[in-house]
Amino acid sequence: MRVGIPRGLLYDRYHPFFIRFFSELGAEPVISPPTSRAILDAGVQCCVDEACLPVKIFHGHVRYLKDKCDILFIPRIMQLRKGEYICPKFCGLAEMVTNSMPDLPWVLSYPIYATSMKNLRRWAQETALPVTGDRKRIFAALNAAMREQARHKTGYDDKGYPIKVALAGHPYNLYDKFINMNIKEKLNRLGVGVITEEYVSDEDAAQEVKALFKKPFWTFARKTYGSVAALAARRLVQGVVYISSFACGIDSVIIELVRDRIGDFPMLVLKIDEHTGEAGVDTRIEAFADMLERRLGHEGHRSASGQCVYSCQGPF
Amino acid sequence: MKVTVPHLGNVYIAAKALFEGLGVEYVIPPLNSRDALEIGSLYSPEEICLPFKIMLGNYIQAIEQGADTVIVTGSCGPCRFGEYCEMHMKLLRRLGYDVDFIVIDAPKAIGMKELAARLSRVAESSPLSGRQKWRALLQALKIMQLLDSIEAKAHDKAGYEKVKGTCRRLLNECRQKTYSCETPERMIECLHDYSRMIDGTPCDNDANPLKIAVIGEIYTIIEPFSNLYIEDKLMNMGISTRRLLTPSWWVKNTLLSPLRLNSPGIRRASRDYLPYSIGGHARECIGEAVLSWKSGFDGAIQVFPMGCMPEIVSKTILPSVARDKDFPVLTLVVDEMTGEAGYITRIEAFADMLERRRSHDVSRS
Repeated sequence: MRVGIPRGLLYDRYHPFFIRFFSELGAEPVISPPTSRAILDAGVQCCVDEACLPVKIFHGHVRYLKDKCDILFIPRIMQLRKGEYICPKFCGLAEMVTNSMPDLPWVLSYPIYATSMKNLRRWAQETALPVTGDRKRIFAALNAAMREQARHKTGYDDKGYPIKVALAGHPYNLYDKFINMNIKEKLNRLGVGVITEEYVSDEDAAQEVKALFKKPFWTFARKTYGSVAALAARRLVQGVVYISSFACGIDSVIIELVRDRIGDFPMLVLKIDEHTGEAGVDTRIEAFADMLERRLGHEGHRSASGQCVYSCQGPF
Repeated sequence: MKVTVPHLGNVYIAAKALFEGLGVEYVIPPLNSRDALEIGSLYSPEEICLPFKIMLGNYIQAIEQGADTVIVTGSCGPCRFGEYCEMHMKLLRRLGYDVDFIVIDAPKAIGMKELAARLSRVAESSPLSGRQKWRALLQALKIMQLLDSIEAKAHDKAGYEKVKGTCRRLLNECRQKTYSCETPERMIECLHDYSRMIDGTPCDNDANPLKIAVIGEIYTIIEPFSNLYIEDKLMNMGISTRRLLTPSWWVKNTLLSPLRLNSPGIRRASRDYLPYSIGGHARECIGEAVLSWKSGFDGAIQVFPMGCMPEIVSKTILPSVARDKDFPVLTLVVDEMTGEAGYITRIEAFADMLERRRSHDVSRS
């Protein structure tokens, strides 16, 4: 039996888990190819206009897999930690897909509450049902998948660059090279190293979050805000590059909170949607890198008339 | 302490009754207008949703009139509304306004003790006895409920009235008269009077007006300014409307939700399309669409602010409801840039289409 797994949204983070789980059960996982223009266009055609770019791309991946699998797996991730959520669109992802595309194969979308082993076992049983009903085998597959996932590491922490920036955003914007137009390579080429939230210790991030009036109730908001604030406050980076999809509700909150926390600290917010042109992104990244370089004083920060153009005596 | 609350439809009338009853000093911000929205959008983050911007405008206008404490409800996701208080506080502080926030949040997020502490901050500033405070609260709830029922009656009767515009005039008068009453007791009396007047409006019982349900995001459908007075527009067109989401519904729903007894009808109706609660009122939106189809409505209009995450999901599902039930749904997205002319055209076209469907000649030219 072929199980289709779309390479969209949180695939980059959780693919070892899902792939291993289904192959242990004896199913054959079919995975859509990396995001491309064709996949994006297919997604834009069938997805609701108001959705954000990553959701549209997810639709494109589903459309690619539609006729190539017997069962379609749409992870409906409700909670990753107790009392925290992801975006509402994740909770209704299966409905979004099934209502915007006709003739889909059987869809597996039992809600995932990754808050306890009990909840995960329940999910595994419900999800494995079309493949096998053997509980022993299902739990063995779940355990193997969990071990596989524990070995999987994402994130960047570049060493040896003169300038370092925090690269922030939702995982699907950071790790899908089509969405972000390979921003990491671009920054590296300009002599800018990046560090992502995975390399910020939980204590540092938690300390920043604790200073808020209300604990953010989105897992990504908590982690992203905490780690960016920690990196900027401890001066471990010289700037922040935030990749945000247009009309992302969660980003509109995180960016505002981060801005409030870091004040004048350099931050570049790159908005991306299906119309984003690469040239404009390049220009902005180059300008940002130049600005960071000048702040460091590597370049002559004196104008021709001998007056200091940029003052380094700001709050940072 | 001088408290204020943001606007949400008729809530300001009930809020006035509550604060008058408690004997607390208060400021009701000026009614929502272009001014509030302009102040709000000037200082708000660009991509935040419309309610945030209007509410920020309310706060600033109220602070300029002397308010120093904002009372607002919270929520714990996954919709953005839960983060409003944090962002509003930071924004206002950055703008140099010294203002306190009392956030009435769900006990499961902040604990019963913290909730009691926050509530007592409001209650303590009142010189009255405990019993009188409870009385004031119950009176305010009663006023809210009366207002909601009068509004519902007027919206329904707008299609049947013999003299066009009677219901709309009575409804507006009712709001103004009630708001100008001094005490909660007088307000309740006034509301009863208007309730009777609306009941007594001469009606054409043979009329068969179009019936449209207004569904969608709770703030934008309750607050008339944010939806460009859609219900008044529909009343003017002689269309009966119904909206299930009201402030008193919200109170009831919030109190009953820990027991899972909230709105069983809506939950049952939405089961085929959206069996899980995904935040905001997406599930209610789907449920209401199905319920209005069941009660013989001609169509539904969904309104939500640009970028509203839960309603985007329901917008995806509504075409399936429309297809399965043969029940037309119009979606209107509002933000601070919405132009009124285009908005009216779409509503009129939708109403025309519904009218033609009745005579079964849609397929013919």
